[in-house]
Amino acid sequence: MAQGEFALIGTGEVPYGRYPERSEFEIAYRVAKLAIQDAGIDKDEIGAVIGAAHIMGSSYNTELFFGRLPEAIGARNCKITASTISGGASSFSIRKTVEGILASGETDTVLVVHAQRFSQFGVNELGKYFAAAGSDSEWDVPYGMTYNALAAMVTQAYLAATPATIEEVASVCVTLRKWAMLQPNAMFNSKELTVEKVLGSRMVAYPLTSLMCNLLADGGCAYVMTTAEKARRVCSKPVYVLSDASQYSHRSITSAKVKDISELGTMGELASRAYERAGLGPKDMDIFEIYASYPGVTLMVLDSLGITEPGTSGQLIASGKCDPGGPYPISTNGEAMGMGHTGTGVGLGLFVESVRQLQGKAGRAQVEGARFLIENCGGGAFMDCHFTVLGNEIPA
Amino acid sequence: MQQNISEIQQMLGLSDEDVAKPLPEPTPWSQPFWDAAREHRLVLRRCNTCGAYQHPPYPSCEACYEEDFSWVDAAGRASLWAYTVNHFAVPFPFLADLPYVTAIVELAEGVRMISNIVECDHDSLRNGMELEVVFDDVSDEFTLPKWKPVGR
Repeated sequence: MAQGEFALIGTGEVPYGRYPERSEFEIAYRVAKLAIQDAGIDKDEIGAVIGAAHIMGSSYNTELFFGRLPEAIGARNCKITASTISGGASSFSIRKTVEGILASGETDTVLVVHAQRFSQFGVNELGKYFAAAGSDSEWDVPYGMTYNALAAMVTQAYLAATPATIEEVASVCVTLRKWAMLQPNAMFNSKELTVEKVLGSRMVAYPLTSLMCNLLADGGCAYVMTTAEKARRVCSKPVYVLSDASQYSHRSITSAKVKDISELGTMGELASRAYERAGLGPKDMDIFEIYASYPGVTLMVLDSLGITEPGTSGQLIASGKCDPGGPYPISTNGEAMGMGHTGTGVGLGLFVESVRQLQGKAGRAQVEGARFLIENCGGGAFMDCHFTVLGNEIPA
Repeated sequence: MQQNISEIQQMLGLSDEDVAKPLPEPTPWSQPFWDAAREHRLVLRRCNTCGAYQHPPYPSCEACYEEDFSWVDAAGRASLWAYTVNHFAVPFPFLADLPYVTAIVELAEGVRMISNIVECDHDSLRNGMELEVVFDDVSDEFTLPKWKPVGR
């Protein structure tokens, strides 16, 4: 990938939360229209529509796979439709798919759409699905594993191996909530949190309390991606993809390629590669858009980003330096903890927020003068990690 | 608690099948593990070509890609790698077990497994502590290897 070859020119998003009456199709249709309008292009410019599959299945997926959206949108020059999914890493695998389509020259404008409606499923269905989502149904699920338990084990090991404290983990929730309070579409944007309140909430899976566990949400978002050449023509402030770096470690957490589980968070080398490929360093970043889904994992990722010594990112967050107005803004939409967890959409939501920030369209959450940011995502049992550096200019 | 659970089951309209504990669904390349567990033996698959242990097993050896294996007896010793104590929001079939410990254990042979730590004081769990295998006959067909602190 040549640096700055592709660009984002518009985004769309609907409110996240519990909206059982709003179908997946309605979400997808609405976010698509918002993104097209925000990009300022004609719908007939769209040459490909890529969707993130709805997790836990849905007739929406069948429609998506068979290309309902271009017809519904009236994208009369659409040539390619596809669905791409890799769990929590879907935002990355989708973007790489889009880059391939753009590089092929078949079209210069691609629409990406995500929609999820968890509220259609019963408690038991959700419980069963999320017991197996991060685990292995033969080797882990018979032992009563859950996604919360998985995140709890990772957090427990991180706390045991580093100077980080459970109070610092709680402070991540407080910071993420502060960001979510600035987001009109966030599920949790009305009540502030305190460390005491987070620590005092019901114990779910030691050391995680209920306010340290994300909640599932209905929601969706979309974006329009194009070539840098076209972006400069049609958009006053495009956001360029400057670089990325990826790794896959395992599917079962027991197969993680690390000596100690707390090393799952040592992704410093990978982040450095992304920085280097962009010709930038951590000091150049105005925002750190971290996808973690659980606050302990936020610390593990932040440890890797070159702004703090490994094991001390909790001190940085607890000091308020990652809050709105602080020098190291993180996860400016509040991420899964603040927006709500939309399945494959958490990473897409964070990516859309990244684009908004660099376009200067982030509203009350806007980080003034933001030029560059690093964004990450990963899926399953912390199986993979992808860093992307975005910028609203291409570094010389 | 038990009565509470049947009330919740009724409230949610769940069948007995819905609330049955999930059991392993063995593959052709994992069946010997479960057969041995039923006899209260812990076995691991070792590659005859390169000697690597592998768990969970797949059709070929992760290290050398060959498909020639032996199942060998494990020492039945492990150390605690990471753990959690589950208190709330677990799948329905595990409600009656709360609070229970799920953990990652690292066996003496170097492979890791998800399991439960049983017969232990939850407050005394420490990463790195030594564990020994115990066997839990969860159904007529399946026995789950679990772990307890050594000497308990």
